[in-house]
Amino acid sequence: MSEKMNGPVGSALVVGGGIGGVQTALDLADSGYYVYLVEKSPSIGGTMSQLDKTFPTNDCSMCILGPKLVECGRHLNIENITYSELLDLQGEAGDFTATIWEKPRYVDVEACTGCGECAEVCPVSALSEYEECLTERQAVYRPFPQASPNAFTIEKHRERRLCELNCPADCDAQGYIALIGQQKYEEALSLIRETVPLPGVMGRICVHPCESNCRRSGIDEPVSVAALKRFVADQVDPLEVLPEVEEPREEKVAIVGSGPAGLTSAYYLARAGYQCTIYEAQPVPGGMLALGIPEYRLPHDVLEREIRVIEKMGVQIITDTAIGTDITVDELFEQGYDAVYLGIGAQNGRAMGIPGEDVETAVQGVDFLREANLHAHGHPYEGPPVEGRSVAVVGGGNVAMDAARTALRMGAEDVRVLYRRSQKEMPALAEEIEEAHEEGVEFELLVNPTEVLTVDGEMTGLRCVTMQLGAPDDSGRRRPEPVPGSEFDLDVDVLIECIGQSVDLDAAREAGVEHDDWTVSADPLTYETNREGVFAGGDGVTGPSVAVEAVADGRKAAESIHRYLNGMDLSADREDDIRPDPAMDDLPAPVQRRSRQKPELADAADRTGDFNEVVAALEEEAAAIEAERCLDCAVCSECLECVAACEANAIDHDDPGTVRSVNVGAVVLSPGFEEFDPDTLFEYGYGSSENVVSSIEFERILSASGPYGGELVRPSDGRHPDSIAWIQCIGSRDEQVGCGYCSSVCCTYAIKQAQVAQEHSDTPLDMGIFFMDMRTHGKDFERYYNRAQDEHDVDFVRCKVHEIKEDEEGRLILRYATTDGAVRETTYDMVVLSVGLRPPADGADLAERTGIGLNDYGFTRTRYFQPIESTRPGVFVSGAFGGPRDIPETVMQSSAAAGRVSQMLSDARFSATEVKEYPVEKDVTEEPPRVGVFVCHCGLNIGGVVDVPAVKEYAAELPHVVFAEENLYTCSQDTQEIIKEKIEEYDLNRVVVASCTPRTHEPLFQETVREAGLNKYMFTMANIRDQCSWVHSSDPEGATEKSKDLVRAAVAKVVELEPLPEITIGLNKSALVIGGGVSGMTSALTLSEQGFPVHLVEKEESLGGNARAVRRTIEGESVDEFLAGLIRRVDDDPLIDVHRNCEVIESAGYVGNFVTTLRSGDESEEEIEHGAVILASGAVPYVPHEGQFGWELHGDVISCADLENEIEKQSEHISSARRVGIVHCVGSRDEERPYCSRICCSTAIKNAIELKERYPDKEVYLFYRDVRTYGFIEEHYRRARDLGVHFIRYEEDNPPEVSAGEQLEVSFFDEVVDRQITVEMDVLALANGLVPSPGAVDLAKMFKVPLNEDGFFLEAHVKLRPVDFATDGVYMAGLVHAPKNLSESISQAEAAAGRATTLLSQDELAVEGWVARVSDERCSGCEACVNVCPYSAVSIDEDKHVATVNEVLCKGCGACTVACRAGAIDTKGFTNQQLLKEVEAICF
Amino acid sequence: MVVDASKLNPEFKYEVASLPGAENVRVCFTCGVCTASCPVSEVEERFNPRRMIRMIMWGMKEEILSSDLIWLCNQCYSCYAHCPQDVKFTDVVGALRRMAVEEGYVDASFLRLSEEMDCMTQQLRNRLVSKVLETRCADADAEVDLRSLMTQLAQELEGEEGC
Repeated sequence: MSEKMNGPVGSALVVGGGIGGVQTALDLADSGYYVYLVEKSPSIGGTMSQLDKTFPTNDCSMCILGPKLVECGRHLNIENITYSELLDLQGEAGDFTATIWEKPRYVDVEACTGCGECAEVCPVSALSEYEECLTERQAVYRPFPQASPNAFTIEKHRERRLCELNCPADCDAQGYIALIGQQKYEEALSLIRETVPLPGVMGRICVHPCESNCRRSGIDEPVSVAALKRFVADQVDPLEVLPEVEEPREEKVAIVGSGPAGLTSAYYLARAGYQCTIYEAQPVPGGMLALGIPEYRLPHDVLEREIRVIEKMGVQIITDTAIGTDITVDELFEQGYDAVYLGIGAQNGRAMGIPGEDVETAVQGVDFLREANLHAHGHPYEGPPVEGRSVAVVGGGNVAMDAARTALRMGAEDVRVLYRRSQKEMPALAEEIEEAHEEGVEFELLVNPTEVLTVDGEMTGLRCVTMQLGAPDDSGRRRPEPVPGSEFDLDVDVLIECIGQSVDLDAAREAGVEHDDWTVSADPLTYETNREGVFAGGDGVTGPSVAVEAVADGRKAAESIHRYLNGMDLSADREDDIRPDPAMDDLPAPVQRRSRQKPELADAADRTGDFNEVVAALEEEAAAIEAERCLDCAVCSECLECVAACEANAIDHDDPGTVRSVNVGAVVLSPGFEEFDPDTLFEYGYGSSENVVSSIEFERILSASGPYGGELVRPSDGRHPDSIAWIQCIGSRDEQVGCGYCSSVCCTYAIKQAQVAQEHSDTPLDMGIFFMDMRTHGKDFERYYNRAQDEHDVDFVRCKVHEIKEDEEGRLILRYATTDGAVRETTYDMVVLSVGLRPPADGADLAERTGIGLNDYGFTRTRYFQPIESTRPGVFVSGAFGGPRDIPETVMQSSAAAGRVSQMLSDARFSATEVKEYPVEKDVTEEPPRVGVFVCHCGLNIGGVVDVPAVKEYAAELPHVVFAEENLYTCSQDTQEIIKEKIEEYDLNRVVVASCTPRTHEPLFQETVREAGLNKYMFTMANIRDQCSWVHSSDPEGATEKSKDLVRAAVAKVVELEPLPEITIGLNKSALVIGGGVSGMTSALTLSEQGFPVHLVEKEESLGGNARAVRRTIEGESVDEFLAGLIRRVDDDPLIDVHRNCEVIESAGYVGNFVTTLRSGDESEEEIEHGAVILASGAVPYVPHEGQFGWELHGDVISCADLENEIEKQSEHISSARRVGIVHCVGSRDEERPYCSRICCSTAIKNAIELKERYPDKEVYLFYRDVRTYGFIEEHYRRARDLGVHFIRYEEDNPPEVSAGEQLEVSFFDEVVDRQITVEMDVLALANGLVPSPGAVDLAKMFKVPLNEDGFFLEAHVKLRPVDFATDGVYMAGLVHAPKNLSESISQAEAAAGRATTLLSQDELAVEGWVARVSDERCSGCEACVNVCPYSAVSIDEDKHVATVNEVLCKGCGACTVACRAGAIDTKGFTNQQLLKEVEAICF
Repeated sequence: MVVDASKLNPEFKYEVASLPGAENVRVCFTCGVCTASCPVSEVEERFNPRRMIRMIMWGMKEEILSSDLIWLCNQCYSCYAHCPQDVKFTDVVGALRRMAVEEGYVDASFLRLSEEMDCMTQQLRNRLVSKVLETRCADADAEVDLRSLMTQLAQELEGEEGC
């Protein structure tokens, strides 16, 4: 083993940017570690960002989360790596190397300002994951407006764009189709020209392999891609939208051949600025396009126009000049050409090689078509005369069809196509064959000519043989074989042979370019030939092929020539390795069938009379329908509209993504969870009934920012529902779907949704929650449940719903059996399925990559006493990846993870962090105000509505304003520099930014101002986006006026501002932990082991607290052993000073500087100075009152703790008992204590299991109200049932009766069998709950922290600050907070230590400038301010009898200012005077 | 009527669970989905699968084995399909029936008759489906008169030996 040379690395990796990951990142960064936060989606925020409200306070989820996201997003020591995944983790605790894949986002996060212009122009929409697919977003999107980073992302899957992948020319069909859908025809044409310079030509004649692979054909028919291409080419005159040509260059390129390959290469070379000349042997340019394709398919003017474009780009075309005869390649180089491209095509026909075919009336199809086309161009016709004659065309390809149909148009008497296979094997396009057929071409199939019959050199007929199909040949087609003796003669005058083409290799030979027997030899990737500077492509290289291949070749050759001329590597990065995604074989979610729009065809009878175009263009309406039929397989269509729209130049469609490595000391995994997909539970109608939604979908429905703007409507008809049902345990406690565990959160979640739904409805809603056990085991959740029943009239129905049926009106009929056995049906307008929590989809991958173990359900494997440690040292897990849990528990675990990491890496604290250095602050107090105003366009966000230049002009004229400017994006990095420059240049001492909201942007601008040497409080914002351009978007003039008003007010205020001091105070780096139980000891150790001295105060002689009464955990681990180990560690720790037999009697001071007095058992007192305090003084077991379930009346009635001890001791009392009962909820969930003690159900079950396992013949009876075995504890509940434990439910108002005669007897009603039952009981244990410890009230007073109604400590925020108090420097852990089990107490204790570390790791505390200030003269000492201050920052100075503010504790909330009747207290930065000036400026 | 559970048979729940198919009977958490899904419960309110499982748990052996109710189950497996704990009530009933015969609560012929009835129904269904398939194979659009087909098949079955 190698000795570790260096200490640990001072940075950490956090995976998952939900609330858990964000909390860990913030705590760690605030504790002196650098954090890499890796999030797979485009924004941090996780599931919490999707929630409408949070339970049990019904706070707006986004409102409480938003500030955390902003803080995390801006933190100097947190690098937010979004849209990324962890690929690999090597190394060991203290020194890991993590490999991170930053997925291509195609938007530069740094440059993007989040203005949203890109999404405005994006033609492609996709279902919004954030909105749970209830609505759509664009391909370029930001998941939600408050996303962090505030940047867009493009969703693109090139591997799914089958049309493009199958196009030889890589033409982005999806892109131009999307643009056609938006009627952006010019843009569509330009996009086509990126890969295909001849849109009108290719739209007509391309064999469109894109269509044969179109995914739409799996639904109905492929999209008419080619017809759309032609449509758009017909809409726009290509000569009107000439492509932009770059600066002309010196280099000259000669191109031989003006077919599709030559024209294409010329196009792209000319576009790049090269001087190109095309040499064409024929009298007209266009190659096969002009002379091989008949005009009725490709009108000459279409081709000519597109060639004209190329000429206009500067390409010179020289016709009638054949290479090899008229000019040689050598001569070209001599004339100064730097490169030559040979696009010579395959112009020659291939003879059949049968006797007699050398007669004059037997010609090659290519020659025949060329003559016909030249004739149309005004040249004399030199082919065989066909008018009035019988013509036979041999072959089954497109050339054969062209020849046959051309012959018809030239007046042939009859035309027959002879083909040696069957029609199925014909290579011609189906529509070509069909059109030929319609026009009267006859087909002689399975026929092959064997001899041209001649008399005197004149053709008299054609001898043919009948063929039959044999075994398949290499091409996969069945090989035709002659049928012996089947020869017959046809009466034919003219024979046109169309069996193939060949390349005229003379030119290549003459040019000194290598070739084989058939084609010119060129590199398949670079198109280089053996001769330097000579490139070749098209049919000449590939052999006869289709035009689109030649186009593809031409573009790629142009690229090669460009590289060649610039001395670049010809082959680098050219391999196209994108393979079609196999997932594309699956069809998308149901799509409405809609048949393909077909262009009109000229009437068959009319069209043979001339060469007019047969196929018409699509009508505009049909084109729109076709465009809509595109499935947007790749999501982003790469239409590049966003690139044009992005003023910040933030978009790069070729972003390849990045793989990077980071060195970290520890890893915290908190990737969260995913919801159970109820799709498979067909009996509940999810997916088939629109009004059955999942709970997370319902969150979005309720959300004001959701798809319905917060209006509670049924998805099917938009009607307000009158009744809603919630069905619990969807994908939870269900062995059949592989989720045997309880998802913990859904019960309270449903109660919340019911309450919020009612708030959203004008009329009383009829609401039902269908559940099996109501599990409101969290802090204050039971009250919440009671409130739902009592105040909101929610029906709680105990059952599992069997099925849901939909009636004709979309109403939903629930069928279920009530506990008494009655089967009922109830109808609701809407049903919400409370879906359970599953491990994240990528959880297994993540576990494999990080080398950690998972449990049977796919959640992480952790141990009871190490709840956040994975199986790999140095890798921690927090939140729902470790098991279903709610937000506060997740936040607790996240702070705990931070605490544990900090404990592990403390030697490296501050070794990897950055500290911001600022210039010395200028003293401007004596200067007259000099205000600079920066007005933001925010792209079009503000500028599209508000007349920003006018606002700027207006601002410039305001008093004290010496400078005003408008910016495209005031928040962009370059504008920050401009602001600093202007402050310097104009000697500004106050700044106003008129832009968006201070909530997200104020800290940024304050920092900029500070960096320029000004006090950061000399700044004010005017929100002209939210309050002007957004809300008054339909009234630009009004919005502009209002913007001026707001700017005037902001200027009036900023003039009044004064610099506020930023002072710091020192702090004591030790902690006081009150309570020596497991929580207190854990907190103490987590702090001491990172070097912070701890005073641990325990009122008893021995440490251990409540855990001393517990023998085993429910998982069977020994608590005694654990506790002994923990106490030993505490005793051995030199930094922990244990004060036994001690109580806290007094505490003074404030965060960082507390002084607390302890009194020990011998009455001696001691003063302790400390910077932080953790309250962990526990709770005590509820003592039943006399007679409660026979308590104190019968010796066999004992407490659950006694039962546990007796089982452990194998007492005679227990071993001899035949029947043992346990009553749940003793002292819990009653009128006096309306909370759940959370641990009693599992304690009872733990003991029941132990009893049954030790004594299988004992009968064990558990009397419960709801079995609250949340999370994986559910498995133990199942185990207990399986062992034969009786679970008997009782109602609060009908508890089991205990008769304490000689023989203890319990009598109760069993609702399921509908009978009164009595049982003789030998032992009856009471599962007594927990109550706050009696000392809590005094501690609360001493440390100025509140208690809740039940007497437990009340945290700063029940959701996001579960271990903090509003009073800084005071934290809590364990049972003082609420009942919880040992494992949960350990988490919270580590969390409290983690939070305290953020404080103790600082060397000094910064005091915020915006704090309250008391005017002693006006203050009467009435204490109104003291009573309203939530932070205990205001107190009365006993000497002066006036209020005094502790600036360290003050948060500047302003509550005291409002409460003060004398106006003696003011908040700096928001003084009455300053605010009044602002008001005055607006009103007068 | 008050039941004294101390006098019931605590072994019964283990006995039932030891029979094939009834292994999971004890893990029932009385959600009632079996009862809600049961077509027999709809016609005979006393037939309540959840209650029957509970009676097994309490050890009400005599009452349940001597009851007519266990013979009412029509083995449609609806309860089976939706049970979140995989209790397989249909099989539990099968176990109870066999136990009732073995322990002499009913005459063995009763079980045979019942099993024959199940078997016959099953056969009738099988033949019906095969017949429909046969007809469709011959002519995809052929009309099938289910009613007369069933009558005909039932008569055929009646004429055959046993099951």
